[in-house]
Amino acid sequence: MADLTETPVLQLEDVTKLYRAGDVVVEALRGVSFAVGEGEYVAITGESGSGKTTLLGILGCLDRPTSGSYRLVGTEMSSLTESHRARVRGQRIGFVFQAYNLLPRATAYKNVELPLVYAGLGARERRPRVLDALAAVGLADRANHHPNQLSGGQQQRVGIARALVAQPSVVLADEPTGNLDSASAEDVLEILDRLHDEGRTIVVVTHSRDVARRASRILKVHDGLLVGDDALEPAA
Amino acid sequence: MTAGLENIRIALGALHANWFRAVLTALGVVIGVGSLIAVSAVSAGAQRQVADSIRRLGANVILVDGEFISIGSAQSATDRTLTPSDAGAIAKLPAVVAVAPQQDMESLTISAGRYRTVTHLFGVTEAYANIYNQVASRGRLISASDVSFGRSVMVLGRIPAASLFPGKDPIGRTIRVGSHEFQVIGVQARKGKLGGENLDNRIFVPLPLVLRVLLGGTATKSIGVRVRAEADIRPTIDRIGVLLRRQHNLPPSYADDFSIEDQAAFVKEAQTASTTFRLLTFALGGIALLVGGIGIMNMMLVSVHERTREIGIRKSVGADPLRIQLQFLIEALVLSTLGGIAGVVGGIGATRLIGSFAGWQTLVSPRSVVLAFIVSVAVGLFFGYYPARRAARLDPIAALRYE
Repeated sequence: MADLTETPVLQLEDVTKLYRAGDVVVEALRGVSFAVGEGEYVAITGESGSGKTTLLGILGCLDRPTSGSYRLVGTEMSSLTESHRARVRGQRIGFVFQAYNLLPRATAYKNVELPLVYAGLGARERRPRVLDALAAVGLADRANHHPNQLSGGQQQRVGIARALVAQPSVVLADEPTGNLDSASAEDVLEILDRLHDEGRTIVVVTHSRDVARRASRILKVHDGLLVGDDALEPAA
Repeated sequence: MTAGLENIRIALGALHANWFRAVLTALGVVIGVGSLIAVSAVSAGAQRQVADSIRRLGANVILVDGEFISIGSAQSATDRTLTPSDAGAIAKLPAVVAVAPQQDMESLTISAGRYRTVTHLFGVTEAYANIYNQVASRGRLISASDVSFGRSVMVLGRIPAASLFPGKDPIGRTIRVGSHEFQVIGVQARKGKLGGENLDNRIFVPLPLVLRVLLGGTATKSIGVRVRAEADIRPTIDRIGVLLRRQHNLPPSYADDFSIEDQAAFVKEAQTASTTFRLLTFALGGIALLVGGIGIMNMMLVSVHERTREIGIRKSVGADPLRIQLQFLIEALVLSTLGGIAGVVGGIGATRLIGSFAGWQTLVSPRSVVLAFIVSVAVGLFFGYYPARRAARLDPIAALRYE
């Protein structure tokens, strides 16, 4: 469990999200509250349509809750302007996507560099950090490769390097192994394990039990509500 | 600053990735800017040509035209109201430098041996050359003694000289006008065109010969009056009007039997005409630019649509809407500016081609180059704004999921 004497990294209080599709209103989230402390490795699970993707969007500041409060390291996010939230995304949050979402025309180096470019760092400051992040995922020698010259597993590791490069408060991964074969998936999960060991806060959204098992805590979402919150023993 | 450079690099990368499409799109701006440059160069050249012609024709010249004398309701075919004494009286007015009475006959057929041509004959005095900046390229011009002795001599313009005496020196040869023969004493130096008339298709004989031999009568058709300066034109016109009414004993209720015009009025007319032409062609160039701008807008909209996912990715790693907007705006700007530069180069090239093929005088002014360039930048800004704004407003979640 999170140490609640400290400010949680993520804190949701009674978050709801409504989507309006014509006359139909869909309640994607119907009042979700939880907190994630620093260094936690949390898996959010649920079937498709349960609301877990909506939840990820809110946690990643890509979306705003309809009501309720979302604090990222103590700062209220639901009321921020779009450009302010963009800055938060670039500096406090690292995304890892199922489909990698690398820019196809940019090299691995350029892809990893992107958050630092938007954070306003100069090229000279960016370089060591980009190289460190690539080294951390074992791709130091692939810096000048384009995504189409890399395997799926390698592309996802570039994605993780990009998520790490700005030293974010939390890494948000959306089905990070969904497009990978089991060997590559294992590589990616091992990197996440190692990041956890290094004390990073990680939230993984997945419907895979194997992925969820690696986390230290599993949140179950069903029908827009949080239905389970289980701490796990570290995997052997 | 670095953000701007980064954006330009991203824009160049994106354009490079779709370079053929970019080139086709920029072509609209290239053609628009190029035609603006070429058109303004041609019309500036034409305007300068008009000014040159005016200078050759003579500056600060007032032309007094006599009307045909009316006898009852009939008009005399040959007799005009202006007399030699009118010319003498005008010469005494202040600010008048020279006075040249003249008579002309249009569409006159003249011949030399088996060659004949149709030309415009002028009967002039020695003052003509002074007023109208006439120079002889060979031989000499009509002199005072030619006029006073009534010699049958003739000065040819370049065109009749060439058509009557191809490849030969016309000086000393004989030309027949009706039943009368004239001896060629000189050829007038090149004058060029003015309005619709080619000033080189003219011939000149002493004024008394036209009056006595060709037309009969003593009145002249018109009197050219040169004044000291441009400022003297207006007051001198008024003075000549008063003078001629008195000379002709016109009662106050009678209309003038003459007309007086400032040659500068003709200049202004020519300039107005060329301004109208210029505005029209500028409008055409503007339309081409508009079409080019719409092309850019179209391509940018397609580009934003195709790169929805890229926009989502950029937003997810911290690009705020302004950065995205700037990125696409700069892409449109780079496209239109490159198009503008190519248009300037192409326009100057086209101007040279037109000049050498059509033999027109052209003038590429730096001002038109700068203007065309500014306009092409403005086109990029204007037509890139909406697509860029659309990109900036994309919902990041939807953009990331976009296939």
